[in-house]
Amino acid sequence: MNNFNPLIHSFPYLLRGAGMTVLMAATAAIPATVLGVVLALLQVFGNRILRASVIAYLLLVRGIPLLVLLTFAYYLLPLTGIDLPPFWGVVLVIACYYAAFMSEVFRAGILSLPQAQWDAARGLGMTRPLMLKIVILPQALRLAAPPYVSLCVSLVKATSLVSIVGLWELTMASREVVERTLAPFQVFIGAGAIYFCICYALALYGRHLERRVLHGH
Amino acid sequence: MPFDLNFLARLLPALLEGAEVTVELAVLTIAICLVWGFVVALAQATRGPLGWLAGGYIQIVRNTPLLIQMYLVYFGFSMGGFGLSGFASGLLALCMQNGGYVAEIYRGGLQSVSPRQYEAGRALGMRRWTLYTTVVLPQVIARIIPPMTNQSISIIKDTSQVAAIAVMEIMKISEVWVETSANTYDVFLGAALIYLALTSAASLAGRLCERRFTFAQ
Repeated sequence: MNNFNPLIHSFPYLLRGAGMTVLMAATAAIPATVLGVVLALLQVFGNRILRASVIAYLLLVRGIPLLVLLTFAYYLLPLTGIDLPPFWGVVLVIACYYAAFMSEVFRAGILSLPQAQWDAARGLGMTRPLMLKIVILPQALRLAAPPYVSLCVSLVKATSLVSIVGLWELTMASREVVERTLAPFQVFIGAGAIYFCICYALALYGRHLERRVLHGH
Repeated sequence: MPFDLNFLARLLPALLEGAEVTVELAVLTIAICLVWGFVVALAQATRGPLGWLAGGYIQIVRNTPLLIQMYLVYFGFSMGGFGLSGFASGLLALCMQNGGYVAEIYRGGLQSVSPRQYEAGRALGMRRWTLYTTVVLPQVIARIIPPMTNQSISIIKDTSQVAAIAVMEIMKISEVWVETSANTYDVFLGAALIYLALTSAASLAGRLCERRFTFAQ
């Protein structure tokens, strides 16, 4: 039990898995953020039909577990003729899933801006795209930054699910090591520690941003 | 063939059996976390090593994936000689992780009550018990219901991860059905609909609680 040799020997392998985890999370976070902003803008400024379809999308995605979406994408995507490499398949699913949560965060940021900001921008004769670009979005995104970062932490943790559909990253790497060494306790603690380092660093950054938002205005 | 009604008629009872396990797991997790999270929140509010320990616990469980915690409990404990069933390991891991989130929700609720409320109560000559039960707790409860509802929805979705340790709930049963029947569309439809029904029921229950416990503030 107390023998941590298996963990020490396999640590470089786990670190390579962690590299894959970070790569996957970062690759998914970018389209998730873009889609999240677009969904938030559609929900705030769109006409009734657009708004209703965004709300339906949010309800659907937020009511179904990510694991269900991942598993069925694994079975369904090949059937529908979309021939993506597995990495891009799971990145796509994770991005679509997290975009729903991010859009809520961005929407809250946009709606929490005081009315005076809108009035002032309109009073200066700005067109709506210009107003969004230089007045609304910069402030809204700053307000949304702390909850956005905690969503990113959640996204990093969620990448562990792709090991269930057979992709290789930190969780899969640790399972492989466990199968070889039969030391689940030590190896999973090691994998957990690596996840903790990644996520805690992000969380600390989020807290730093939060302090800046609270005291910056 | 998609939308095969005969198939759906056979699939549904099997999925509902899984839904029973999912609901059991989710309800137990929510009930235990309501208590455990409160204990952790109180411990975190104290000064000294206990508060430090509770804070560390919260950071660790929130910054590591549920899946790793489940593997650690399921495989690690059995290696240590006190193996738990898949259901018990899943429950333990779910409570461990969500207890940390629920503790943070309680903390936020307690902090949101202004010190003036305590002062006013004391100035009216209230005993500590009366102060807490009639002034502080009603306000805390009203404020924590929306985040608790979100957490419950997230718990329901998280239960799908116990499929990875071979508990026969909705996710695992639908995987088995996909592999034996190759009717992926219908199984996906069934599983997604059941999860949607469960999460919608939770959010409806949350809204009812909100109406019952909120008052003009």
